[in-house]
Amino acid sequence: MNARRWMALTKRELLKLARNPAALGTSLLLPILYLLLFGQGFSFTSFLNGLPPARRTAELNQLVLGAPDYFSYFAAGMVGFVSVTATLFVGANVIFDKLFGTLKRTAATPATATDIFGARLVAGSIQPVGLAFLVLGLAILIGDVGLSGLHVTATVTVVGALEVVLAILLLSLMFASLFLALGFTIEQPQTYFAVVNTINLPVLLTSAALYPWGQMPAWLRSIASYNPVTLAVEVLRINFFGGSLYPYSAAVYLLGLLGWAVSLFAIATFLVRRALAPKT
Amino acid sequence: MTDAIIAEGLSKTFNGTVKAVDGVSFTVKEGEIYGFLGPNGAGKTTTLSLLTAVLGPTGGRATVDGLDVFRHPHDLKQRIGLVFQESTADQDLTGRENLDLAAALFGVPLRDTPRRVSDLLERLQLADSADRLVKTYSGGMRRRLELAVGIVHSPRVLFLDEPTLGLDPQGRAGFWKIITELRKDTGMTVFLTTHYLDEADGMCDRIAIIDHGKIVATGTPSELKDRVGGDVVTVRPLGNAPGLESALAALPGVHAVTPQDGTLRVKCPSGDVLIPKIVMAATSLGISLVGVSLRRPSLDEVFLEFTGREYREDEGPTATDRAVFLSRMQDARRARR
Repeated sequence: MNARRWMALTKRELLKLARNPAALGTSLLLPILYLLLFGQGFSFTSFLNGLPPARRTAELNQLVLGAPDYFSYFAAGMVGFVSVTATLFVGANVIFDKLFGTLKRTAATPATATDIFGARLVAGSIQPVGLAFLVLGLAILIGDVGLSGLHVTATVTVVGALEVVLAILLLSLMFASLFLALGFTIEQPQTYFAVVNTINLPVLLTSAALYPWGQMPAWLRSIASYNPVTLAVEVLRINFFGGSLYPYSAAVYLLGLLGWAVSLFAIATFLVRRALAPKT
Repeated sequence: MTDAIIAEGLSKTFNGTVKAVDGVSFTVKEGEIYGFLGPNGAGKTTTLSLLTAVLGPTGGRATVDGLDVFRHPHDLKQRIGLVFQESTADQDLTGRENLDLAAALFGVPLRDTPRRVSDLLERLQLADSADRLVKTYSGGMRRRLELAVGIVHSPRVLFLDEPTLGLDPQGRAGFWKIITELRKDTGMTVFLTTHYLDEADGMCDRIAIIDHGKIVATGTPSELKDRVGGDVVTVRPLGNAPGLESALAALPGVHAVTPQDGTLRVKCPSGDVLIPKIVMAATSLGISLVGVSLRRPSLDEVFLEFTGREYREDEGPTATDRAVFLSRMQDARRARR
C-alpha cells in the first residue's frame, strides 16, 4: 500500500461524508429513534423493581447478564446495531461510484486495489466508531430527563475504555469489510440493498445485542455465542456492568472478534482485487 | 521516430461469442495524433480499453511507450493518461480537489502539486471555478476537468475516448485547441477514438477506420481520401434504369460505377465536368433522373468505400454542427500558422 495514495483516497471519502450532512443525520437519527421508542417501550425489567434486592440482582443476572435494567443492556447492544447500519453505506457508495464512473477513474490510476479498499475501509469504520460513542453518550444523558437511560454500574478503567474502543473498531472494520466486499461484487444498488437487508436483521437478531439473553431459546444462544455482534457487545457489557455470558475476560471476546474481522478482511481483499483486476 | 503504441493481432471476445475486436494490428508513432474512427459498436472503446489495461485481451499483444501492456499494467498506468467518454470526476469534490487527488494517485511530487494543479486549471480555463463542486460544472467544464485529470502527471501517451461527445461545436473546437497546444508543447502521443468524421479529419495525423472489430483502412486523412479515387457523383434515376450503369461506365474519365440503394455512385477525377455528360447519357437512353449530386472526397466517402455502407448520420453531428466545427477548426489552424 502506498501511504500517499491511501491518505488521498481516505481524505476523499471523509470529505464526501462531511459534505453529506443528511446521510450523517439519518445515521444518527435511526439509533436515537431506537433508544427513544424501542428502548423505552421494552424496558420490561421494571417489573423486577418490587423484588428484594438479592432476588432482583439474581433475576437481572439471569435476564440481562448483570445490567442494571433492560435499557442499559439494550443501549450497549445498540453499538452493534450502529456498526451494521452505519457501515452498510460504504458498500452502497462503491456501487454509486461504479455507476458514476468514479471508481473506473480511480482504477485507471496507479492506485492499487489495496489502496482503494484500505481507504474505504478506514473511512467507513471511523463513522460508526464516532456514532457509537454519540449513541452511548446520548443513552446516558436521556436517563437524566426522566426516561430510562444507560447506567454504567462498573468502574471503567483506562484499559476497559480501550477495550471498548477496540471492540467497536473491530466490529466496524468487520462489517465495513463485508459491505465493501458486497459493494465491489454487486453491480446494482437494488440488489445490494436487498442482500444487505437480508443479512442485517438475522445478524442482529441472532446476537445478544437487543435480545435479552435470559429469554433466548437454547438453540439461539448457541448461535448468538459466536455472533460477532455478541462478542463486541459483551466487551462493552463486561466493562460497563461487570457481567458476561461466560466467565471469560474481555480479551477472549476481543480475540474472537479479531478472528471475525481478519476473516472478513481477507475475503473482502480477495473479492476487491478480483473486481478491480482487468476484465478478461 | 519510434513507435509509441504497437498492437499486434489484438482480439477481445466477450462471453465467448461476441468478437468486439478481431485481430487488430497497428502502430502509432511518438508525438502523433492517431484516430480510431468508426460507428458505435465498431470496437473503438474496446481497443482503447485493451491498450490501457482496463480490459485483458483474448489474443494478441500490445506495447505502449515500450511497456508490455498486459505484463506491466501497473507501470503502464503511471505513463499514460486516460480520458473517458463519460464524466468520471467526483461530483462531490471541487475541481481543485479532484486534481489534487489525481496528482496524489499518479505520484506527482508533493512540492510540485500545487503549481501543477494551478497551471492546469489556468490552462483549461477552470481557474475561476476551481473551488466549486464539480456537480455545479457545465458539460464543457467537466470535459476540460476530465482532460486535466488525465494529464496532471504529464503522461507520455494520452488516450482519449470520444472526448468531445455531447459537447457543442464551440466546446469541441475549444477542446481540440487545448489538445493541439499540449501536443505542441509536450510532444505527447495522442490516441483517440471518435465517431466524428470531421474531428478525425481535422485533428489526426493518421487514422484507422474500424468496423465490426476489424481495421478496414489506415493512413493520413488525405491518403485515405485519395484512395477513394477523386470525386463521387451520385445519380438517382427515376425507377429502373436499364443500361444506365454501363453507359456511365463508358463515359471518358469515369473510374468506376457502383450501384447502391437505388443510386449509381460514379467515381471520377472531376465531377463537375462529368455531370453534364451524365445527364446527356441518361437523356439519350430515355431515362429521367430524380437527382444528381457531387461529393468531393471526404471521410464519409472513405468510410463508405471501405465498409460498403453509409456512415450512420444519427451517430455523428448534424450538418450545422459540422459546418460550425469546421469553420472554428479552420480559424484555429490559421491562428497556429
